[in-house]
Amino acid sequence: MGANSMLSESSHDLDDQISQLMQCKPLSEQQVRGLCEKAKEILMDESNVQPVKSPVTICGDIHGQFHDLAELFRIGGKCPDTNYLFMGDYVDRGYYSVETVSLLVALKVRYPQRITILRGNHESRQITQVYGFYDECLRKYGNANVWKTFTDLFDFFPLTALVESEIFCLHGGLSPSIETLDNIRNFDRVQEVPHEGPMCDLLWSDPDDRCGWGISPRGAGYTFGQDISEQFNHTNSLKLIARAHQLVMDGFNWAHEQKVVTIFSAPNYCYRCGNMASILEVDDCKGHTFIQFEPAPRRGEPDVTRRTPDYFL
Amino acid sequence: MDSSSHMASLPEDIITDEHLQQQTQPASASAFASVPQRPPTKSSSEKYAPLDWSVYFDKEDDVAIPESNDVFHVYTAGTEGPVVFCLHGGGYSGLSFAVSASKIKEKARVVAMDLRGHGKSLTEDDLDLSVETMCNDVLAVIKELYSDSPPAIILVGHSCIILLTIIGKKLLHHQSMGGSIAVHVAARRSLSALAGLVVVDVVEGTAMASLIHMQKILSSRMQHFSSIEKAIEWSVRGGSLRNIDSARVSIPATLKYDHSKKCYLYRTELEKTEQYWKGWYEGLSDKFLSCPVPKLLLLAGTDRLDRSLTIGQMQGKFQMVVVRHTGHAIQEDVPDEFATLIVNFISRNRIGPHGIEIPGLRKPAFSKP
Repeated sequence: MGANSMLSESSHDLDDQISQLMQCKPLSEQQVRGLCEKAKEILMDESNVQPVKSPVTICGDIHGQFHDLAELFRIGGKCPDTNYLFMGDYVDRGYYSVETVSLLVALKVRYPQRITILRGNHESRQITQVYGFYDECLRKYGNANVWKTFTDLFDFFPLTALVESEIFCLHGGLSPSIETLDNIRNFDRVQEVPHEGPMCDLLWSDPDDRCGWGISPRGAGYTFGQDISEQFNHTNSLKLIARAHQLVMDGFNWAHEQKVVTIFSAPNYCYRCGNMASILEVDDCKGHTFIQFEPAPRRGEPDVTRRTPDYFL
Repeated sequence: MDSSSHMASLPEDIITDEHLQQQTQPASASAFASVPQRPPTKSSSEKYAPLDWSVYFDKEDDVAIPESNDVFHVYTAGTEGPVVFCLHGGGYSGLSFAVSASKIKEKARVVAMDLRGHGKSLTEDDLDLSVETMCNDVLAVIKELYSDSPPAIILVGHSCIILLTIIGKKLLHHQSMGGSIAVHVAARRSLSALAGLVVVDVVEGTAMASLIHMQKILSSRMQHFSSIEKAIEWSVRGGSLRNIDSARVSIPATLKYDHSKKCYLYRTELEKTEQYWKGWYEGLSDKFLSCPVPKLLLLAGTDRLDRSLTIGQMQGKFQMVVVRHTGHAIQEDVPDEFATLIVNFISRNRIGPHGIEIPGLRKPAFSKP
């Protein structure tokens, strides 16, 4: 009875937090700390290759575009009525990384079996100090404590997911160091994203039209050709690799004869690219449906003052 | 005794000051003598004294272009590896890369050219900074340096980036026209003269949007300097540079002495070249993205990408590094970090003295070393 009471009280608090976040209002620093403690308890028990059951809706990059995430939920259905799998890159670039990642973590804590949140290359201390999340935390909280709390939590995010043992989901792509899913299950993921190596590759690699492994133009990870993905899919009895990481103008893009798909879920990326976004619905008969969507109607953008240009000739 | 010894080593003008003090206030002479004052201008002069290029580069040369009266000045460093060919921004000179060259030369060769109207280069029309003319200038210099067998070249450009993309394409084309070399097509691609592009802090969209402010920015600079030291001091304290060592070697090359006004002025009259500025940036992003070699974009801040480059970066078309704690002249403000980024770019992309040494790492699936 006491335990039930505590659980009920905790759920109620969480529902309040989720309601607040759905209005794009940040939690207090104390609430963030409590939320992340609970999330850590849940995430540390998840596998590097987290099993997921269908039906599930698979989503790509969000990049702090909170109102577009809200649009995604309007179109794809609310959590927990719809099961979700997000493939990383919740923060940086957009104006609302704090609200975006807070909401997804809160939903994870509230409905742990109905939402899976993977790690992207931007869920990293180094990257977030450059591309916006750190500065946004400073602006909204007056100090870097919330940034530290979240970046410590990011180390616990699972790296990949496996839908019905057939669809392999991850942020980036394959690695020359990884042949089997057990290779992924066996390493320690609780660390900052390294500059190279298999964990880096899973978060940074991209598919390529050319065969074999290539040096990634991005400066981290590899490019991999159809021969690589075919071998990997065959070895691991997979039907599809679903990944994010690359902007595609239609929101999704097939590669390697429909054995690899890129899903991008931040419409009009960086409020300038003019791209569609999409999500992939996998129904309980394993049918696939892409749902495309456009940016949410713009509210006034927050005041981000533009500096007078300096000398640049 | 100690006081006496100290007094003996003081410069002449200090002694003069002391004598004056003695005459007017004899009682305080001994106290003054024990705590001598050095004039701030002396300290300032020492701190901002010009440095010679030879501290950082190995050699300088004048490259005379046949069938013209144009002579281009180049600084070089290093003896092995691919060539890092450096093109400075408007109003700078080849010495903008001096401090970083001394680090890059440990792993690669460095060539830094003074563009038309800049540094020690002398041409018939120093105000013609059109893209076409400057591209021809650079290609002519490369031809004079290497004739028809250029080594692998990583073009590094600060601001005048469109030069890189156009020159880069010409280098690729030039190599493919080298019919005397009977090599396999793939190998020919590997032996291409152009092996990489590095762009330093310029983005077409933000540049085009800001050009209307540039004349005002130019006119708001300090225009006249009584000495080179004053110019160096201004560039660090009130201008655009943050690294004193780099300013001491690079700023002198951006100045000229006006005998009638008896002061130093900017060597390059940028305000008279406005007609060409738009041409430096228009279409830049697409040209950069369509160049088929490894590419590195170095930026001083994240809020600088235009639409094309944002899409290209997010599609994994090039490497981007945001360098913090630096202004526009990244290669001057943080030369060690800049050099490290260049050297790592060369290493990561396997660029050797004759091009890509391992063509794209195209190995069979899961082969083991």
